[in-house]
Amino acid sequence: MDLAYRVLDDQLVDVDGRRCGRADDLEFDGELGSPPRLYSILSGNGIWWRRLPRPLRGIGERIFGPGVVGDDVIRVPWERVDHLDTVIHLKAKARDLGLGQGDDRLAPTIAKLPRS
Amino acid sequence: MGRGGPQDRGLDLKKVFQIALGIVAAVGGFVDIGELVFNAQAGALFHYKLLWAVIVGVIGIMVFAEMTGRVAAVAGRPVFDVLRMRMGINVAIVGLIASLAINLLTLAAEVGGVAIVLQLLFDVKFGTMLLLGLMGLVLIVYFVPFEGIERIFGYLGCALLVYVAAAVHLKPDWHDVAQGFVPSWHGSALYAYFAVGVIGAALVPYEVYFYSSGGIEDGWTEKDLGLNRMNTILGFGLGGILSIAIIMVSAQVLGPAQIDPSYLGTTALGAQHAYGETGLLLALLGMLFAVGGAAVEAAFSGAYTLAQFAGWEWGKYRSPSGAPRFTLSWLIFFALAFVVVATGVDPVILTEYAVIFSVVALPLTYLPVLLIARDRTFMGNHTNGLFADVLGWLYFVIILIVALAAVPLMLITQQGSA
Repeated sequence: MDLAYRVLDDQLVDVDGRRCGRADDLEFDGELGSPPRLYSILSGNGIWWRRLPRPLRGIGERIFGPGVVGDDVIRVPWERVDHLDTVIHLKAKARDLGLGQGDDRLAPTIAKLPRS
Repeated sequence: MGRGGPQDRGLDLKKVFQIALGIVAAVGGFVDIGELVFNAQAGALFHYKLLWAVIVGVIGIMVFAEMTGRVAAVAGRPVFDVLRMRMGINVAIVGLIASLAINLLTLAAEVGGVAIVLQLLFDVKFGTMLLLGLMGLVLIVYFVPFEGIERIFGYLGCALLVYVAAAVHLKPDWHDVAQGFVPSWHGSALYAYFAVGVIGAALVPYEVYFYSSGGIEDGWTEKDLGLNRMNTILGFGLGGILSIAIIMVSAQVLGPAQIDPSYLGTTALGAQHAYGETGLLLALLGMLFAVGGAAVEAAFSGAYTLAQFAGWEWGKYRSPSGAPRFTLSWLIFFALAFVVVATGVDPVILTEYAVIFSVVALPLTYLPVLLIARDRTFMGNHTNGLFADVLGWLYFVIILIVALAAVPLMLITQQGSA
C-alpha cells in the first residue's frame, strides 16, 4: 500500500525521457486473504475522473470519455516499469505503450509552424 | 564551488555572474500590473502607512518561492506535480480550475496593461495597441529562447528603478517612511482592503509556478540550492524595494495632488514629477517590460499548470512540436486573454479581481509545497530547517487570514472605491 501511495498520480516518463501521462489509477490482483499485488498502472483522460466525488463523475465521463481500456485509458503492466525516482521510468517508448497519443496527434499540426 | 585553480575560479565567476543575472531578471520580473495598481493606490490613499504590507508580502513570496525552488531542485517536482501527488486528485482539480481561471484573469490584465502603456507611448488607438502588443508578446515567446525572454523583460523592466531614484529625489520625511514599516491598524475596511491587496500583489502564485517550472527547465539539482536562495532573497527583496518606491512616489506626488491612480498611466506621473520627460519615459518603458514579462509568465504558468496536472510533455526548451499540447496551451491562453480585454473590460478592474482571487486560492498550492518541503522521503537532507519551518507555518496562517478576508473586504469596499 505504501507503493500505491508512492506511485498513484506520479508522472510517467518513457525510455527516451519523454513525459507521457500520469498514473491516474492502479490495478491490483491477488487472492482473498493474501496481500494484493500491484498489477498495472492506468493512465488516460478516461480514468482519472472516476476518482472525483460521485456527483462529478457524470460530468467527467461526458467531458473526458467513458474510460475504455485501449482507447481513452492505457494499461501499463507493472513489468514495464523500469524504476522509480522522482518520476516513474518506463522500459519502453511511449508510442509502443500507447501513451502520449494526444501529443502525437497534435505534433504534425504544430510542426507546420515555423522553427518547430 | 572551486578551491582556487584557474578553472575553478572560472566556474566561481560563472556562478556569480549567473546569480547576478538571476537577480536582475527577478528585479525586473517581480513588479507586475498588480503591484503598480495596488501600490500606487495604497500610497495615494494612505501615504506611507501600508509600507509594512509590502514587507509582509515580499517575505511571503521569498518563503514560498524558496521552498518551491528547493523542491524543484531536490525532488525534481514542480508545484502542480506536488499538488496532485500530495493532496490527491480532488484537491488538485479544484486547484487546477482556480489556477487556470486566475491565470487567465491575470494574463488578460497584463496584456491590457501592455496595451495601455503602448497607447500612452505612441498615442494610437487602444484596440490597435492591444493587437500589436499581443502579437509582439507571442512572437517574442515563440522565437526567443527561455534565457533571452528572461533577460529582455527582466533587464528592460529594471527601468522601473527610476521610481527608487525618484522616491529619494523627492526628499521624503524619512521618519514618516520608517513609521510606515510598523504595522498599524486604522479601523477602516478600505485600509484593510488595500493591505490585503498589497500583500496579495506580492504573493501572486503564477510567479511561483513559473519560478519552480523554470528551475526544472534549467535542470537545477542540489548544487543549485545556493542559487535558488540568492535569487529568492535578493531578487524578490530588490523587487520589494521597487514596490516600496512606487508607494513612496505615489504618496509624495499623487496623494497630495488628490490624484486617484485608478488609471495605469497616472502611476508614471510620480517619475515625471521628479525627472521630467526622461522620468516619464523610463517609468513607461519599465512598466511596458515589467508588465509584458508578467504576461509571458502568466501565459506560461497556465500552460505549465495544465501540462503538469495531466502529465503532458512540457517546457520551453522543447521544440514546439516536441511539446505540442503545451505550446498550443500557451497560444490559447494568449488568445483567450485577447478576447477578455477586447470585450472592453478595464484592465485595472481585472487586475484587482485577479489579485484578490489569487489570494483566495493561494492556500491550495502553498500547503502541499510546505508539506513536501518538510518531507524527508522527498527532500532527504534538504527539508525545511527550524527557521524555514517556523516561517513556512507562520505564512500559512497569514495566507489563510488574508484569503478569508479578501472577498468580504472587496465587497464591503466595493473594490476599494467606497
